[in-house]
Amino acid sequence: MIRDFLYEAWYLGLRTLRRFFRVPANWIGIILFPLIQLFVFSQLFKDIIQLPGFQASGSGSYLAYLAPGQIAFTAFFAVAWSGSAILVEYRNGYMDKLRATPIHRVSILAGELAPLFIESAIMAGGILVLSVLLGATIKTGLSGAALILVLSGLFGMAWAGTSFVPAFLTKSEQATGTLSLLFFPIAFMSTAFVPPALMPGWLQVVNSWNPITFLIEAIRPLMVSGYDWAAIGKALVAIAVLGLVLQSATLWSFRRLTA
Amino acid sequence: MGSPVIEVENLVKVYAGGTRAVDGISFRVEPGELVGFLGPNGAGKTTTIRILATLLVATSGTARVAGFDVAKHAADVRRRLGLAMQTPTLDSFATGRENIELIGRMHRVPRAELKRRTDELLELMGLTAVARKLAGTYSGGMRRRLDLACALVHRPQVLILDEPTEGLDPQSRMALWEELERISHDGTTMLLTTHYMEEADRLCNRVAIIDSGRIVVDGTPAGLKAGIGADTVTLQLEARGPEDLARQQEDVRTSLSGFESLESVAPEPFGVRLAVRDAGRAIPELMRRLDRNGQAVRVIGLTVGQPSLDDVFVKYTGRRIRAEAADQPLILGW
Repeated sequence: MIRDFLYEAWYLGLRTLRRFFRVPANWIGIILFPLIQLFVFSQLFKDIIQLPGFQASGSGSYLAYLAPGQIAFTAFFAVAWSGSAILVEYRNGYMDKLRATPIHRVSILAGELAPLFIESAIMAGGILVLSVLLGATIKTGLSGAALILVLSGLFGMAWAGTSFVPAFLTKSEQATGTLSLLFFPIAFMSTAFVPPALMPGWLQVVNSWNPITFLIEAIRPLMVSGYDWAAIGKALVAIAVLGLVLQSATLWSFRRLTA
Repeated sequence: MGSPVIEVENLVKVYAGGTRAVDGISFRVEPGELVGFLGPNGAGKTTTIRILATLLVATSGTARVAGFDVAKHAADVRRRLGLAMQTPTLDSFATGRENIELIGRMHRVPRAELKRRTDELLELMGLTAVARKLAGTYSGGMRRRLDLACALVHRPQVLILDEPTEGLDPQSRMALWEELERISHDGTTMLLTTHYMEEADRLCNRVAIIDSGRIVVDGTPAGLKAGIGADTVTLQLEARGPEDLARQQEDVRTSLSGFESLESVAPEPFGVRLAVRDAGRAIPELMRRLDRNGQAVRVIGLTVGQPSLDDVFVKYTGRRIRAEAADQPLILGW
């Protein structure tokens, strides 16, 4: 039973990865926005780093401060429209073709979801490499970089629920990316651009509940100082909670769709 | 003959909106048969097929495929079933070979056998040259053939095809017919739906005409046509205006009254249409009778038609089937 599930999800997952990487527009679209932000904001707000609140972060330049946030956002964008491919296949009948084979129904969902770990990690890795080329550093070296990719991948997988759930509930392609608009409040109410010390009180409260802040705060020390296991632990817990809530909803809405 | 491969009893499907798509269908398909469901769009063909393919649950009635109840033993049915839908469903971002292999893997075809079988199917469907190209780049006919290859990869006991040649140009349609005939010849039991008379006539051992969710008549194409019992003879008349035409039509009727081969006379816009038994033999006598009337009936053209499945369809449903594109379900979201 479990072996069957893993076998099916593996081959369906390979198909999903193939589909993703064979269309360059997929990954260019994901990487472009964070890259522009990284490049332009690091120039535009270059001197902001001299404000007192930034010292605590340990970042030597605003580019170094900015990079972890853009890596996290890349994982966010990598999954922002993740529900659309499966919805297209639900409509054009490909999902029926799979359902008419002797496989577990949930393997179809797993085959879409699991590859998102790899897609988000690789996309985030792209921005990580580009930020190093622009002048950022990774103090913890290759193993730290690997950890950054794992955290980004896990976050992407968890966050994908924000695309799957509306996709399955509305059966509308437009709805699959609607929640990506959450990017703006989530991005600007996080520590991606400024440290909490520089935020007004209410924003500090919002920020302390913002899931992406946990990810950013775990990545930043890995790049600028060293392993901050407390921050990494918090990020893992935040991702686990987020994943549990969003993916339970995904599973429920998928069963409803394919009932 | 063994037990039937498909056995359907009193199948009913009522959709949530109250539409009775399938309204008490019963039929059997014996091993090796190629049976066609012929009917207009919305007749309930696709709904029946979706129930047989375990994709839809019937409201009432039972359906067994390869001896297994579709509702209770879906997995057993799926293992023995090959399915191709109305529009080819392929992974456009996978190559032809990858498409076939994925479905084969889902059916647990062993690795070595899968390689062999995929090669064989690509060859058979004439896709070897494009096997490494993405399916998204294929033409309509190639997509159909690839879809069919996917349905055959696990050597299914029964093949179910929904409108297998819908949307194909005549050449591709002919090629696919030959392919289907060959598959049927190899012993695979097949059930297909179509709204093309020609297709049902040429391919099927047995045709069930389905309309408004019911099977109205069922038989071999030849038997159904013979059941019509008469050929269609159309006389074109030369008339000076509508009154003259009406008079001549009446003259034809009176001249032929009592002619034993004649079944019916019906006016046409430019003449009359007669249903005549064994028209080939009856025509000389028919013309002699018309001639006796002198110049009153001026026949300028005569055509004789064999009865077609079209006539069978009209006889049993009172309507003509239209060769329009099959409906696509419209799914609205918000």
